[in-house]
Amino acid sequence: MGRYAARRLLQAIPVLIGVTFIIFCLVFALPGDPIQALAGEKRADPNIAAMLREQYHLNDPLYQQYWHYISGVFTGDLGQTYNGREISELVSERFPVTLKLALTAFGIEAAIGIVAGIFAALKKGKFIDNVVLVSTLILISIPVFVLGSVFQLEFGVNLKITPVAGIEQGWPQSYILPAIVLASTSMAYIARLTRTSMGESIRADYVRTAVAKGLPRRRVIGVHALRNSLIPVVTFLGMDLGALMGGAIITERVFNLPGLGGQIAQSVYLRERPIVVGLVTLLVLIYLVANLLVDLLYAVLDPRIRYE
Amino acid sequence: MRGAKSAKWVAIATVVVLGATACGGGGDTGGSGKNDGIVSMEIGEPQNGLIPSNTYETEGGQVISALFAGLTKLNAENKVVDDLAASIDTKDSKVWTIKLKPGYTFHNGEKVTAQSFVDAWNYGANQENKQQTNALFNHIQGWTDLNPGEGKKPTTDKMSGLKAVDESTLQVTLTGPFSAFRAQLSFTAFSPLPKAFFQDPKAFGEKPIGNGPFEMDGSVKHNESISLKKYDKFPDASKIEVKGINFKIYSNQDTAYKDLVAGNLDLDITVPNSGLPTYKKDLPGRTIDEADSGVGYIGFPLKYNKSFQNKDLRKAISMSIDRKAIADKIFLGSRMPADDFINPIIDGYRQGACGEACTLNPAKAKELYKTSGGLPGNALELGYNADGDHKAWITAVANQIQQNLGIKVTVKPFEQFQTILNDLDAKKYGGAFRMAWNMDYPDAENYLRPIFSTDAIANGSNYAGYSNPAFDKLLVEGDQAPVPADAIKKYQAADDILLNEMPYIPVYFYKMNGGFSDKIKSVKVAGHNVLWDTVKLS
Repeated sequence: MGRYAARRLLQAIPVLIGVTFIIFCLVFALPGDPIQALAGEKRADPNIAAMLREQYHLNDPLYQQYWHYISGVFTGDLGQTYNGREISELVSERFPVTLKLALTAFGIEAAIGIVAGIFAALKKGKFIDNVVLVSTLILISIPVFVLGSVFQLEFGVNLKITPVAGIEQGWPQSYILPAIVLASTSMAYIARLTRTSMGESIRADYVRTAVAKGLPRRRVIGVHALRNSLIPVVTFLGMDLGALMGGAIITERVFNLPGLGGQIAQSVYLRERPIVVGLVTLLVLIYLVANLLVDLLYAVLDPRIRYE
Repeated sequence: MRGAKSAKWVAIATVVVLGATACGGGGDTGGSGKNDGIVSMEIGEPQNGLIPSNTYETEGGQVISALFAGLTKLNAENKVVDDLAASIDTKDSKVWTIKLKPGYTFHNGEKVTAQSFVDAWNYGANQENKQQTNALFNHIQGWTDLNPGEGKKPTTDKMSGLKAVDESTLQVTLTGPFSAFRAQLSFTAFSPLPKAFFQDPKAFGEKPIGNGPFEMDGSVKHNESISLKKYDKFPDASKIEVKGINFKIYSNQDTAYKDLVAGNLDLDITVPNSGLPTYKKDLPGRTIDEADSGVGYIGFPLKYNKSFQNKDLRKAISMSIDRKAIADKIFLGSRMPADDFINPIIDGYRQGACGEACTLNPAKAKELYKTSGGLPGNALELGYNADGDHKAWITAVANQIQQNLGIKVTVKPFEQFQTILNDLDAKKYGGAFRMAWNMDYPDAENYLRPIFSTDAIANGSNYAGYSNPAFDKLLVEGDQAPVPADAIKKYQAADDILLNEMPYIPVYFYKMNGGFSDKIKSVKVAGHNVLWDTVKLS
């Protein structure tokens, strides 16, 4: 299995180089001027702007700029933003916020989604099943920013249960509401996925055997049926962790959380190529690792799966 | 089972690591208790490190103005008054002798001397330091020595016009008379800097040491907050009720507004468009609604598009715009119809100066349009930047012109404000465009020279490429005027030329629409900066 993991990690290198290059080209293709942006709504002094462009190699052709960037990355230097801040510093500042938000959301969607899915599967066609089906349908169909704004107004402004915005109160208070909003769509998918997959396994032969052996119901459902039904769910969760990290753009904006999503949006807007590339690369890395973990987890869930 | 077992460990380890990071952070601050004297205020993330000469935008400027005290400042009536300066004397508006008040220190205890200003300005004006406000120092003698241009190194690092005569006397020689210099000194770029700055400017930008009524309480927390506490050794500290300022950084003004209504934020001087219809009801008796220093225009690329050359054509377009409808209906009263190139808060503004040319008159407009020869194909394009809230009013203006002149008007969005500027510089865009100006210092001159003078084509914000020798000459005469009243007369004469020729069409004046929490009793804002000595707590 070690060899399998190593091979997977080696495959990540060309993926990363390719991704950084594509992102670099995309951001390069955007019109606009990062140096002009530094001056806000005033015109940047032409002389000073020219010198800054020189300093950040902005007059060079694309491939040279990319070379500057990528050779820096390999020597451990992520580069500087156009206003002179270290990108590595920026990442270490913002990463924890997004990680906390994503993991909180991840926990919420996994816990509630799976439990709701199990209940729905066990009570198929009954009241509880319908409740799950209808509520998930609603969650899937409401856009995240609408849900975010409504929750913010209701729980933050009117009821004052949670903070309206910001991370001043730390984890979990400041994160709980944005995490619920961020988790909502995936939670609905997980509930439906679990319901379907659980519905299949409880009719499977090995579950019937377990019941025939006289095993307690708790063990039949919890171990025999659930463990097998979790494989598609885990696949989804793994993909979703990456999506949560990157997809927090809207949620972070609505709730004013200083995380990676907000930074990526802002950097695209300011045409800060090195930051966009750096952060997206980081997200790609997280995707790759999450995927690897998912594949390894299959073996835990289903001993028949082997990596040799 | 070998594979499964180690996979199990990987999974467990991951969970432990993730759990640890998730629970690691978090404080328990927040929840503003009543009357602790700390006021929280909304800003956006400053563009650059907090260095006065490198801050040319309002977000960082807000913080700088609380941290630093300059030679002059604006009072609540937008008048320039002395701050650190005990006296500012000049005979010819060219050589200025400035005496400092005693007793001012930087937050690290260092005394503020004339040399602190000399060093700071020399740094700001040196092209090697790439400061955003570099060009503001260009009236000082010796500025060109520090700015030989791209690819050349300056041979000196001192401007010849700056001299610290003694510890408390500063002598400034300008390249020529410039009567607005005293007003210019109120801009934060002219703040003094302590010696500690020059050792490590970058670190300074994260935790600036100022000389103003407030000092940093910790470093800048990027995208989160900047905390300030009162500097008790500031000579006028007793006049300030506020004990500390917590600048909360928002990326989204709607969110800030919700925080304000919920009582988690104390002061927000920009209510977003979404809040405008209801903010007076949401915050009863706790709103700010006053004139602001900005002007909004429709501009023309006169420099290279010949079809806009006729001034009657530009006037016809101006007269087909219903400014009142734009201000009241589109902006819900958060703008005022413009009737001059000079903003109402500035000495020299004349109500109704623009007269007929800025008043809706479809019949006259149509006639003028016809006699002027009209536009090629009777088609007009209006460009605007989509990154601001401009679509609604530009579309409305386009409809008005189309209807009132009977020509085809289309709108063209640009991704960013910078895209328009670059296209105009590259002579790529030939249509009319949306433009705005916000003052750097409160003087009529600041609404004329940086936007419409010939010099400003290369070094300023003259995007029209407008050039008129008579206008330039009047500005110089205004600069040389010995008394402010005479200067204003000259500047108004220059303004008259603009009003007659309409290189831009003034459309509206900005207003400041803000609100505050019940922690604050009253607050005054001048030149977009909060005057902290006017903030009264309840």
